[in-house]
Amino acid sequence: MAARVGIVGIGHTRFGNSSEYDLADVMAYAATDALQDAGYLAQRKEIDQVFVANMASGMFCHQSAVASALISRMDMEPVPAELIENGPASGASAVKIGYMAIASGMADVVLVVGGEIMRKVNGWSATDIVATMLDTDTEYNMGLTLPGFGGMFTRLYMEKYGLTERDLALVAVKSHDNGARNKYAHVQATCTIEAIADGPEADVVNNYIAEPLRMYSTCPVSDGAAALLLVNMDSPRAKQFAKKPVRIAGVASATDTHCVHNRKDPLQLNAVRIAGEKAYKMAGLGPKDISFAELHDAFVILELAISEELGFFERGKSFLAVRKGETRIDGRFPINTSGGLKSKGHPVGATGVSQVVELVRQLRGEAEEGRQVKDPKYGMSVNFGGFGNNVAAVICAKD
Amino acid sequence: MIDFSMYDFQAPKISAYRCDTCGAIYYPAPMICGKCNKRRDPVTGKSWSTFDLEGPCTLLTWTRVWNLPEGYTKKFLQFGIVQFENGLRASGRVEVEEPKTGMKLAATVEESDERPGKPVKIFVFK
Repeated sequence: MAARVGIVGIGHTRFGNSSEYDLADVMAYAATDALQDAGYLAQRKEIDQVFVANMASGMFCHQSAVASALISRMDMEPVPAELIENGPASGASAVKIGYMAIASGMADVVLVVGGEIMRKVNGWSATDIVATMLDTDTEYNMGLTLPGFGGMFTRLYMEKYGLTERDLALVAVKSHDNGARNKYAHVQATCTIEAIADGPEADVVNNYIAEPLRMYSTCPVSDGAAALLLVNMDSPRAKQFAKKPVRIAGVASATDTHCVHNRKDPLQLNAVRIAGEKAYKMAGLGPKDISFAELHDAFVILELAISEELGFFERGKSFLAVRKGETRIDGRFPINTSGGLKSKGHPVGATGVSQVVELVRQLRGEAEEGRQVKDPKYGMSVNFGGFGNNVAAVICAKD
Repeated sequence: MIDFSMYDFQAPKISAYRCDTCGAIYYPAPMICGKCNKRRDPVTGKSWSTFDLEGPCTLLTWTRVWNLPEGYTKKFLQFGIVQFENGLRASGRVEVEEPKTGMKLAATVEESDERPGKPVKIFVFK
């Protein structure tokens, strides 16, 4: 039987603009926080393995080999360290590979660090760099971008299920309410439905990005890092840590066609559904067991669509739950308690790790006042790579 | 004497691919046929054939993008996904004033030099 894997340390920088800083320094800050949280800073050279999640430091920062740089910044030689790159799902992929390293018996203590500095380049360039994850000949070369696919997906969903632009704004208002209370969030500000949908200035405040997606339907471009210390809960070494572990009950990933146009039903996010099913099976759980979720809302439509693929709501019905407030922090099923990518921000390589940090904070009862879920037992995150072509899901448990 | 007529303008084309073993068609081409597992050699093209992907198509969805990446100087561009009569689908630009899902369009191919580097072939659905 594979070892049980738990999280004993978490670290997180405030997402936002860190473009004056070196990526390795920013990642080292989050990693040091995670080690201090676990009471393991002085023993850091006893860590068996470091996995670093990053999508595109070569393009954003003209910097490669960031795993090596991180090790030196933290005076951790000769601990082995490798980079995991899986687009915007790099973070959860690194968590999965960290889990596999422990479950395989090759490691007992693994540090996972995700980070990205995107704002060293201008917004147009950042959009271009992110778009390189698309299929080169058939998507990127056409001029398509991720917001473009988000817009086309949203239009299909609207025409099939009756979603409105106001519904998208309601998701954003909910997420900003949470993000405003999250000390790590990029945009720590609320927004009102009047300002971004109902009021006379809404078209100006909330302008179109990729119709029908507007500015408040898309996440900001962010810098930042997050880190987790994983441990084999069945090893004698598990007793060395200051914090009680939060167990990783399920972790899984799946893929879908790289070209979005080749999906039989472009409204179905197969990789999300399959990764979720595998994670549920591993955990011995189903959607009704999950207390709250962190879902990859790079575009708010994805929060809705992912929540349906995971079985939290019927297909085409999630926005009706949003209208009733069911996904708010005090609702029946809180989603994106951190503020989500929409408000907390989306440094692409960090996001999957950051989502799991939020699961741990909620399960430990350490979230800020006003955004703590009541007595959560299981939290689930989904980290969405490409436009759904490579997705990883994580379920954490408070035992 | 040079016959300049030999150098007539060649209209840009985008190719789709057919596995000659089982007849399955693809855009873009895989390296292995998803139906019969026949390998495709990208250099010789042996056992596979190509055909121009063009002509009538139906618009499945579309968007108007206002935050274009570096290199694009237009205020906005429209993009869409279409389905051809042979069932293949493609993404590309949409150049009609009022796009509507389900509308019939014609796929054309143009060269784009908006980004740095060599010009690339793009679909323009009109």
